[in-house]
Amino acid sequence: MRKYGILVTVVIVSLLLAISLGQLAGAESEADEIKIGLVAPLTGGASTTGTDMWESAVLAADEINAAGGVNVNGVNMQITLVKGDTETSREGGVKVVTKLITEDEVDILVGGFSSGITSADQVVAAEHKVPFIITGASSPTITHRTDIDTSYFFHHCPTTDDYGESTILFVDEIVKPEIYEQFDFPADRPLRLAVLYQDSAYGVGVYDGIKKTIENYNLNMEVVAEEKFKMSETDFRTTLTVIKAAEPDVVYPAAFLNEQTLIVSQGMRDVSLNTIYLSVECNDDPDYYTGVERWGEYSIQESRFGPYAIPSGPLQDAVVKFRDDFEAKWGAPPSMMGASTYEGVYIAAEAVKDAGTRDKGAVRDALAGIEMTQMVEAMKDGVITFTPDYRESKFELYMQQLIWDETVGETRPKIVWPDSVKETDFVLPDWYEPGSAPTPEEPGFEAVFAIAGLLAVAYLVLRRQK
Amino acid sequence: MDIGVLIQILVWGIYAGCIYILLAIGLNLIFGVMKVVNFAHGELLMLGAYAAFWIYTFSSINPYLIVPLSMLLIAILGIFIERLCFRPIMGTGKLNEIFLSLGLIYLFQNLVAFLWSTNSRYIRSPYGEVVVHIGAIKLPLDYLIIIIVTIVFLIAFQLFMKKTTTGRAMRATSQNREAAALMGINVERMDMLSFALGSALAAAAGSLWLISGQMANPYMGAIPAIKAFAVVIIGGLGSIPGAIIAGMTLGIAENVVPYFMQALVAVFGYEMSFTGWKDTIAFLILIIVLILRPTGIFGERGE
Repeated sequence: MRKYGILVTVVIVSLLLAISLGQLAGAESEADEIKIGLVAPLTGGASTTGTDMWESAVLAADEINAAGGVNVNGVNMQITLVKGDTETSREGGVKVVTKLITEDEVDILVGGFSSGITSADQVVAAEHKVPFIITGASSPTITHRTDIDTSYFFHHCPTTDDYGESTILFVDEIVKPEIYEQFDFPADRPLRLAVLYQDSAYGVGVYDGIKKTIENYNLNMEVVAEEKFKMSETDFRTTLTVIKAAEPDVVYPAAFLNEQTLIVSQGMRDVSLNTIYLSVECNDDPDYYTGVERWGEYSIQESRFGPYAIPSGPLQDAVVKFRDDFEAKWGAPPSMMGASTYEGVYIAAEAVKDAGTRDKGAVRDALAGIEMTQMVEAMKDGVITFTPDYRESKFELYMQQLIWDETVGETRPKIVWPDSVKETDFVLPDWYEPGSAPTPEEPGFEAVFAIAGLLAVAYLVLRRQK
Repeated sequence: MDIGVLIQILVWGIYAGCIYILLAIGLNLIFGVMKVVNFAHGELLMLGAYAAFWIYTFSSINPYLIVPLSMLLIAILGIFIERLCFRPIMGTGKLNEIFLSLGLIYLFQNLVAFLWSTNSRYIRSPYGEVVVHIGAIKLPLDYLIIIIVTIVFLIAFQLFMKKTTTGRAMRATSQNREAAALMGINVERMDMLSFALGSALAAAAGSLWLISGQMANPYMGAIPAIKAFAVVIIGGLGSIPGAIIAGMTLGIAENVVPYFMQALVAVFGYEMSFTGWKDTIAFLILIIVLILRPTGIFGERGE
């Protein structure tokens, strides 16, 4: 009996000792690491983009760790990434950001795809005052809103205002003259623009950016159709049929990758809306070229980083290296959201290094004053820095046209604007059909329909009274 | 209002209606025979689309010939689901059935995402660039084929249910399970067959949807499933003719009504788009039907 007592005591003491040592080791390892919470839609409708963001962050963290980690006040700290899956939903975003902050105790957050989701989950980060480098939500409200403290948010991706401005200026400068020359339109004829936008902060933001640009630059353009759709919509045929009836010269969808693919293919194939489709930068993704097939030929994309087109200039080597390293590690080229998230991890590391501590307030201050050489995306003046007012980094955006490449059996982008990085000239395809003002019709069928509707309502009311 | 535009929109509505009908009939059949509400029915559509995609990828045969193969595969899967999941819990309470089918949604979505990633998958129809001219209207041939294929499926389904012994046994089980069992009908076999047939119809919907240019991904089943449930409720729980009429009505209404509404407000001098109101219209119809006739158009009182 006594032997058993000794044995039990030895086992208990050993266990307690092991647990204490384990905790000590854990505490030591935690003290030597910078925990970055990667907020991205790893499941749900935007999971393709989210996975790419995660893979890019892993590449950045691996590179930093392989180079010895981050020197924080003389201590080399390793970066540990913690997955934060928003499940492509606002509720999922709030849930996972809460978990990252309260359970995983991350030092800094990076990522955040979709303005709608980020506007919900950033509230949690604001309450806990955790620095958040937002690399995938494009609505300017993310750092402009006044209902929460946004001083911990740093916006490292162009805003929807930037998209709209670059694209509309390109259309006015390049596409419009080409159409007007070919179809002999008078110069005072307004360009007929149709906008089809996602009913979300992102889509509404792009549409606002378009309207602001037309107004601010006093452009001779008219929005002849303004249609919206809910996120993850898959059937655009009716909407595109209505847009076609409005006879636009150019169609500008503000959509995510899967939506844009279907808009262009359904527009060209099903509705015969043979026009120039414009596209927001998040669609410069390998999956888009595969999915849109030949239907996307001659469409236009605004971009800042792509898997195929590389703007000439000082960034070329860095872009090629990033792309090759990513492809070697994950088997496919990276996307734009991946590029900004890759940079986001480096920015986070640099901020902790500059702060000399993981203290969140000090890291925030370091981010506010950061000045890093541009990495894989072209920045204004070649420097990654955040504006003092709304903490936004400013990108050099370019426009590219998709041209069919027989060797790969897909379209490939060619940069057509601005002149500083242009690869080739914009081409107006021979199948292009311009819009023209529809002939005004006498009210006929509509009036009959309206009267019939009113009579039906009156009949129902009378019947109920009886 | 342009009549040409209206006709074209009507065709998109009929096409959407065909997909809803195929999905809703399967759902209704399973409910009618087993009295089980399978919330994971949209996932059978998704798996049907994936089955079509993989068969097409490995065989490269005409996508329309793949539809029956996809239906067969998903019918077999349906048998497994019925035998392994629903049969053991039948009669143990509706809550168990609901949570089981909700669990199946997550299981299938995550399994597909794990096996084949969340990347979108496509099939290109060989008739993708063939357009049929009907007056001034241009309609892609694929949509006409899909509408015809759906009609063929519906006729075959009705013939099976009305003219064959098995079909009549399924209807009898649907009408009165106990009486059917007393008459010597193997009701458990009917459960299995109805689940297989319902799953096959969901697979047909998924395959045809994919061929028409949609993309397959693990989460594609959610929205069509919600619409199919709306169709079932509007048409009446367990009613096959109700599902056909409600499916077509819903498909047409959610496409055509926004255009009418746009024309209507234009009469009063306003310019407003209603194309984003598709789902609102679908569920508005559902609410109106439930207020006026709580059992649905063809539903029986007390069901």
